[in-house]
Amino acid sequence: MKWSQFFNTSIGKKLLVGATGLFLCSFVIVHLAGNLALLKEDGGEAFNTYAAFMGHNGLIQFIAWGLKIVILIHAVIAIQLTFRNRTARPVKYAVRPGNKTSSWFSRQMAIMGSVLFIFLVVHLAQFWWVMHYGEIGKVSYGAVTEVGNLYEVVWFAFKEPWIVILYVLGMVALAFHLIHGFKSACQTFGLNHPKYNGLISFIGVGFFGIIIPLGFAVIPVVIFFKQIS
Amino acid sequence: MLNAKIPAGPLETKWSKYKSTVKLVNPANKRKLEVIVIGTGLAGASAAASLAELGYKVKAFCFQDSARRAHSIAAQGGINAAKNYQNDGDSVFRLFYDTVKGGDYRAREGNVYRLAEVSGAIIDQCVAQGVPFAREYGGLLSNRSFGGTQVQRTFYAAGQTGQQLLLGAYSALQRQVSLGNVKMYSRHEMLDIVKVDGKARGIIARDLVSGKLERHFGHAVLICSGGYGNVFFLSTNAMGSNVTAAWKAHKQGAFFGNPCFTQIHPTCIPVSGDHQSKLTLMSESLRNDGRIWVPKKQNDTRKAIDIPEEERDYYLERRYPAFGNLVPRDVASRAAKERCDAGYGVGASKMAVYLDYADAIVRYGKIEASKKGQDHASQEEIIAMGKEVVKEKYGNLFDMYAKITGENPYETPMRIYPAVHYTMGGLWVDYELMTTVPGLYALGEANFSDHGANRLGASALMQGLADGYFVIPYTIGNYLADEIHTKPIPTDDPAFVAAEKAVQDQLDKLMNIKGKHSVDHFHKALGKIMWDKCGMARNEKGLQEAITEIQALREEFWKDVRIPGKQNEFNPELEKAGRVADFLELGELMCKDALNRRESCGGHFREESQDKDGEAQRIDEEFQYVSAWEYKGPSSSELHKEPLTFDIVHPTQRSYK
Amino acid sequence: MKLTLKVWRQQNSQDKGGFETYQVSDVSTDMSFLEVFDVLNERLINEGKDPIAFDHDCREGICGACSMYINGRAHGPWHETTTCQLHMRAYNDGDTIVVEPWRAKAFPVIKDLAVDRSAFDRIIQAGGFISVNTGNAVDANAIPIDKVDADAAFAAAACIGCGACVAACKNSSAMLFTSAKVSQLALLPQGRPEHQQRAEDMVAQMDKEGFGSCTNTGACEAECPKGISISNIARLNREFIGAGFSSKA
Repeated sequence: MKWSQFFNTSIGKKLLVGATGLFLCSFVIVHLAGNLALLKEDGGEAFNTYAAFMGHNGLIQFIAWGLKIVILIHAVIAIQLTFRNRTARPVKYAVRPGNKTSSWFSRQMAIMGSVLFIFLVVHLAQFWWVMHYGEIGKVSYGAVTEVGNLYEVVWFAFKEPWIVILYVLGMVALAFHLIHGFKSACQTFGLNHPKYNGLISFIGVGFFGIIIPLGFAVIPVVIFFKQIS
Repeated sequence: MLNAKIPAGPLETKWSKYKSTVKLVNPANKRKLEVIVIGTGLAGASAAASLAELGYKVKAFCFQDSARRAHSIAAQGGINAAKNYQNDGDSVFRLFYDTVKGGDYRAREGNVYRLAEVSGAIIDQCVAQGVPFAREYGGLLSNRSFGGTQVQRTFYAAGQTGQQLLLGAYSALQRQVSLGNVKMYSRHEMLDIVKVDGKARGIIARDLVSGKLERHFGHAVLICSGGYGNVFFLSTNAMGSNVTAAWKAHKQGAFFGNPCFTQIHPTCIPVSGDHQSKLTLMSESLRNDGRIWVPKKQNDTRKAIDIPEEERDYYLERRYPAFGNLVPRDVASRAAKERCDAGYGVGASKMAVYLDYADAIVRYGKIEASKKGQDHASQEEIIAMGKEVVKEKYGNLFDMYAKITGENPYETPMRIYPAVHYTMGGLWVDYELMTTVPGLYALGEANFSDHGANRLGASALMQGLADGYFVIPYTIGNYLADEIHTKPIPTDDPAFVAAEKAVQDQLDKLMNIKGKHSVDHFHKALGKIMWDKCGMARNEKGLQEAITEIQALREEFWKDVRIPGKQNEFNPELEKAGRVADFLELGELMCKDALNRRESCGGHFREESQDKDGEAQRIDEEFQYVSAWEYKGPSSSELHKEPLTFDIVHPTQRSYK
Repeated sequence: MKLTLKVWRQQNSQDKGGFETYQVSDVSTDMSFLEVFDVLNERLINEGKDPIAFDHDCREGICGACSMYINGRAHGPWHETTTCQLHMRAYNDGDTIVVEPWRAKAFPVIKDLAVDRSAFDRIIQAGGFISVNTGNAVDANAIPIDKVDADAAFAAAACIGCGACVAACKNSSAMLFTSAKVSQLALLPQGRPEHQQRAEDMVAQMDKEGFGSCTNTGACEAECPKGISISNIARLNREFIGAGFSSKA
C-alpha cells in the first residue's frame, strides 16, 4: 500500500484527523500554561514576556504556522469524512435512538468542531492579528524592551460581558469536543486495552474534557470580575 | 437391484483402497468441468470450496441472502471426531461402532466406517481455517462428552459450533469466489434438475429478487439442501428449510431413502400458542445436569415449586435406571409424549414436562462451598454459589429460555417438549454419494446417509463436512473422468427449454389459483397431520388416515391457495407455496414409508412393534434394509430394498434400563 | 394487547416508499416480534393485500437474516437480542411501533423491510479467510493457542453478519463487522501469515461499498445482538496501521 493509498482510505483519513487532533490537544496544554500568566497581577510582565518570546522565537513561529496548517488539515479532512458519512445513508430514519445507543458528545463532533473553528477565527482576529499586524502599545520590563502589551489588550477585551460569554461558550464547545475527541483518537490509533482504558477515559474526560476547558474559561471570567469590582 | 458400490475388502481398508484406485481428472481437464452445488450449508459450502480448490468451475446456489445463513449455522452442541485427544480409549472403530449402534442398525457399515475415518481430518481442516474451538489453558483443544457417549470426542465452540464451522466453510467458499473459481448465486432457488440423455446436466433456478427463471449447465449437480423437517410445519429447522431441491431430484429419478426416519429432539421449548412459527431447541447438554419430571397426579395445576418432592415423577430415572435422564433422544422424546398423552403434562398447554435444575444448583453449590472451604455455608449461600456455576455452564441457554418464555429458569423448572429436529432420510446415494441419476449427487442431511434410523448428537456436523471436504472431492472424479469430452451443453438445448417451461407452467398454475387460503394455512394443516399421525409414534390406522388426508389437502391446496403479488418480483409467498406443494407430496411418501416399515427402529416407532415394557422392537429378519422409493407419478411410488449386511457389528436390541 | 404498527412499505428498489399504519389486536406477550408480522401478513393476504416482505430464517438468533429497525433501535429494545428473539412482553397495550428497514447506501432496499446485504459477502471475499486448501492442515493440536486469545477470537467470530452495526451507526459504517473478522483471524496463529494484507484488502472493499467511516460513537457495540466489542475496531486500526507502515510496496 502506497502512502497515497493509505491516506485515501477511511481509516487513513481518520488517522490524520486523530493525529492532528492529538497534536492540538498537546497545544492546548501549552497554551493554557502560558495564558495562566494573565491572572498574575504584575502589570503584564510575565504574560507579555511570554507572548513576546512566543512571537519571536523562530522555532515557535515555525510550529505556530504548522499549527494553523494542522488545524486546517484536521478541519478539512473531518468535513470530508462527515460528508462521506452523510451520503452513506441517503434515506434517513424516521425514528432515532437519541442517547440510548451512543453518547450525545460523540454525535456532535462536527457541530462542536465547527463552533470551535468559528471561535478560533474570532479569537485569532482579536488577539493574534492585533499582536502581529495591528496597533498595539509597547512596554518594557528590564532586559525585555519594547514588547507589545497584549496583556492590556486582553484585559480590555474581557471588560465586555458578551466577549466573556463568547469565550466561555467556546470553552464549553472545546470541552464537549474533547470529551469524545481524545478517547476517539486513541481508539483510532488502536489504543484500546482493558488495563489502560480507564486511564484514557480519565485523561480524555477529566483532563481534556474538564480541567483544560475550565482552566481556559476561568481566565476571562476572573479578569471580568476583577475589573468590575 | 440397487448397487451401493461399497468397495470390497476389509472394512479398514475400503476407503483407502478406493482412494488409491479411483479415476482421476487431470488439472487441465478440471478447468473445463463445471459443477453445480445447491445449498451452502456445511455440506454445500465445503464441497463447493473444495471442488473449486481442485480446479473445477463451480456454481453455488442458496435461497438465503448470503451463503453464511444456511441452517447448519444453528447447530449448537458440537462435532464428533475420533481424535482420542483425551486418552480415554476412543478410536475410529469405536466412533464407527457407536454410530452404527446409535442408528439402530439401519446404516451401512462401509459408509459409517469412512465417516469415522475422516472425522479427525475435519477437525484439522477447521482449525487451519481459523475455527475458534474451545481450548484448555494449555492451549490444546477441549472435548466434552455428548449425547450419552462414554468417551469425550465432541469438539465445540461454546454453544455455537455449527455457526463457527459454517463460517469456516463459508470463508473458504468466499475465498474461491474471490479467486474466480466459484460463481455465487444467493437469493436463488433451484426449481428443477435438467437431464440430458439420462444424466444430470444442469438446473432451472429462480432469481428470488427479480423472479426470473435461469438455466444453468453443469457436468454434475450436487444437492446439499439439508433436511425436510419443516414438513411438520413446526420444527427446529429454519423457516426457509425445505425439501424442494431434493424432491425435484426425486421426481427426476433419484430414489428417496428411508423418508420416514425423523429425529424428534427431546429438549425444545414448548409451543406457546397458535401463533407459533417455529420451535427452539435447547441444547441436549442440559440433560447432563437437569432432572426431568412431571407431577404424579394427573392434571395437576399447582406451580412446580408447590409440588412436594414425593409427588413428583422422575419418569426417565424410574423407567431407565441405568441411563436415567441421559437416554438417547428418541427414547427421551417418546417417554415425554407418553406422560403428556396420559394427562400428566404441565404448563398451560399440558404438552410439556419439567426440566429441573434445582438439584444441580444445590449439588454444584456444595462442591463450590467445599472448594472454598466454607463447611458451614447456609442453604442460601450454597444455592447462590450453585447458580453461579450453572450460569457459567449453561448461561446462554438459560438466557434464551428466559427471553422466549419470560420465566426465570434459575428459580422455576424449565418446560420442555420434543420437537422435530433432523431427518435421517433423504436422497438415496451410493458409496460415492451419487443418487440413482448419473451425475446427480446428494450430500449432508439431504442424503439418506450414515445415521441409520437415529442420529447421535454432534454427528450431523461431522457428516456434512465429511461429505463436502473429504468424500466428494475424490468420488466425483470417478464420474467426471469420463466426462472430459463432454462440451458444455448450451442452455438453449431442448432439454433446458422443456425443463424451464415445466417450471414456468407450475409457477403460472400456482399464481392463477387465486384461492381463499394462505400458504401457511395449508402448511399448518399438513404439519398437524404429520405430527399427529407420523410423528413420535405411528400406527397402521393413523398412517392410512394420514395418507388420505394429505391427498385431500393437496387437492384443496391446488384449488384454493392464495398467492398475493406477482411472479416477476420478490415474492416470499410464492417461494413458500412452491415449497409447501412439495411437502404435500413428500408427506404422503413419508407416511407410506412408515406404513411399510412395520418395525420400530430409532426415531421410527410403530406402536404395533413394542415389547411388553413399551420399548421399541426392531424386526431384523424383515426390515434390515434401506427403503429406496422410486417416483412413479402422483401418489405412486415403487419400493426398492437395499439389504443391509453387518459383518462387523452384530445387531442387538438397544437397552437403557 | 392492541398495537399500532407503522411499517415502511416499498415495492422495490426504485420505488420511493412510505409508511403504512396497521392496527393489530390479540397480540399475546408470548409472541415473538416476527410472529406478529406473520399474523399481520396472514390477515393482509386474506384481505387481498400484499404482505410485508422481511428477511428471516432461523428464528433463533443465529442466522443473522432478520433485520428490523424498531422504534429507532436496530433489532428493537432488548439488549443483545435479534429481532426474531424479541418477544412482545417488551411492549404494552396501545403502543405504537415504527418499523423501518436497515438504512444505508450499501444496503439497498429490495422490498419493504428486506435489504441487500451482499456488500458484507464482498468484504469477506476481499480477505476474510485463511488461505488454506482442504487437506493441507496439520494436526489440530500441533499449534497450541493461548486460551485467552482463542476465547477472544471466538468472541469476535460470534458475529452473525446481520448488519445491525451498520444500521445503528450514524455513519452507516461497517467497521464493527469488518473488524470482527480481521480480529478473529489476527488473534489466531493460523491467520497471522496474511494478517496485514487481509486488513488492507478488507478495508479497501469496505470503503468501496460505500459504508461511512467510524467516529467511535460505540452505537454498533450497543446494538450488536452478539455483543461484539469495539475493541475489535481498535485491533483493526492497529492491523491497518501496521499494514500501511510496513507494506513492501
